[in-house]
Amino acid sequence: MPRREFDPGGGGAAPWVFLAPLIAFAAVFFVIPLGFSIWLSFTRWNPLGTPSWVGLRQFEYLFTRDGDFWRSILNTFVFAFGFVALGVPLSLGLAFVFSRARGKTLWRSVYYLPQLTNIVAIAYLWQFVLDDRYGAINRLLGMVGLAGPNWLSDPAMAMVSVVLVMIWYDAGKNMLVFSAALEGVDREIYDAAALDGASPLRTLTSVTLPIIRPAFIFVTITSFITGMGFFALILAMTGGGPRGATEVTALYTYQMAFESLRMGRASAGALILFAIIGVLSILQFRALRGRE
Amino acid sequence: MTAVDRTGAPARGAPLRIAVAPRWRRAIGPLVKYALLSLGALLMILPFADMFIGALRSPADVFASPPRYWPQDPQWGVYARVFRELPMTTWFANSIIVTVTITAAQVATSTMAGYALAKYEFGGRAAIFRLVVGAQMFPFFLFIIPIFFILRFAPLMGGNDIAGQGGSGLLGTYAALCLPFVVTWYGVFLMRQFFVSIPDDLLEAARLDGAGEYRIFRSIMLPLVKPAIATLTLFSFVYHWNEFIWTMTVTRAAPELQTLPVGIYLLQGAFEDLDQKALQQAALAVSILPVIVVFLCLQRLFVASEFSSGVK
Repeated sequence: MPRREFDPGGGGAAPWVFLAPLIAFAAVFFVIPLGFSIWLSFTRWNPLGTPSWVGLRQFEYLFTRDGDFWRSILNTFVFAFGFVALGVPLSLGLAFVFSRARGKTLWRSVYYLPQLTNIVAIAYLWQFVLDDRYGAINRLLGMVGLAGPNWLSDPAMAMVSVVLVMIWYDAGKNMLVFSAALEGVDREIYDAAALDGASPLRTLTSVTLPIIRPAFIFVTITSFITGMGFFALILAMTGGGPRGATEVTALYTYQMAFESLRMGRASAGALILFAIIGVLSILQFRALRGRE
Repeated sequence: MTAVDRTGAPARGAPLRIAVAPRWRRAIGPLVKYALLSLGALLMILPFADMFIGALRSPADVFASPPRYWPQDPQWGVYARVFRELPMTTWFANSIIVTVTITAAQVATSTMAGYALAKYEFGGRAAIFRLVVGAQMFPFFLFIIPIFFILRFAPLMGGNDIAGQGGSGLLGTYAALCLPFVVTWYGVFLMRQFFVSIPDDLLEAARLDGAGEYRIFRSIMLPLVKPAIATLTLFSFVYHWNEFIWTMTVTRAAPELQTLPVGIYLLQGAFEDLDQKALQQAALAVSILPVIVVFLCLQRLFVASEFSSGVK
């Protein structure tokens, strides 16, 4: 039977019509902003006036004279690493338990609840729970005779609090990625491992983990990128305080732009943070892939 | 090795190990499992419960010494007060307008672009696909400043001249809230993955029948990717109902355009008063409710495995 070869190029102008919105968007809201941002980082600009070219001086200032900037970088690392190091294993563990439970829809909805909630509500409901005097946690601790810490007003404690809330907020999302990956594992592989007399631990390390490795890499890297750039929660919960203890770089540059109106320096700071995230994501990706 | 093990296994039916395991040991696994899940679930729900209970407290409960946790006389009227005393209706309407517009736009642009990338061959396709994948890596904070000023200096908009000077551009309009989000790279990627899995034969057969390209897309292809559209709708709706940073940045000076999270956040000073805390908690509860309803309605259509489509 003669069969006409399918011609994928036979759409004429149609693909370009379908892609027109994307191309226009990419130009106006991706390429131009990136170029604009890079150009701005070489200027000094308070938007009430006109930008003036200052070369590398914004970068020089941030690197050599701005102690707050370095502290914000450090805070960003603490926040992102705390979030990844505690949050990813927790989601994976939850997914393991979850994957063999009944009533998945119900559990999924419950664990996904924070993801459905706006970040302002998340921040405020935890402010109520963590309140030094009136909060539910310190009241509970008080009932058993313990004095709870000042979760949000003690600089040493505030970062711990925001990391924990971030983990609580995001656990459901990562758990779903992991449980989707776990459900993709063929049951027969487990049966085969059991027949071969593999212990549960051996099955976990030699069968399950290698199979879900792509999901693990995906979750680790996306969580890291999220953690390094996410500042809405911190803005609404602590505003970067107390005394700068939770001031992360993305928040620092945001405030520099829209409160101090230093657009040039803020753009430079954002680009530095982006470069750090890019380099570390690639290194992370290589390291996680390399062990195969 | 397998041969030996296999001969040692019971000939048919239930494996030997389970048959000899005492009853309590069989029960303990599920027990631990459900105990853990319930504990976690409790941890997820309690902060919300704390907020709902807090909303019902009267000033008398708050100022009692020691303050009462359980409201003595639950103030259900607080939910009506929220609408009377705060610009809740405006915020609500704005949230709906912005979320629905963005979600509809994202579904349209994602299905169109995803379809083109999956089912046509043309010069530049590989480059555009790389852009779609690569752009997902760029964090949003990088775009806040430049996009703010691109909208501010949009030529001929909002009193601007052709060079973008003189007026306020698109700031202070719904366009400023929606335009930066009309395309979602992730959505294009998701839809492209779905269209790839649809056999080319369908497209070919439709062409032989003389259907035009746009009709094929609308009448044949779109109905086939309904589950993916449901997933994208859900994601977009939830994300943009809750979007906070961008909306706050462009509506700080335009209260008539503020959405629920932004309005509640910017009113924080007004809630300093302990007496007003209940009002704030009730407002937050009202802001959360619509998303939960949408989620419960759509989650039937929503396939968890699509979460991993970025992985494979």
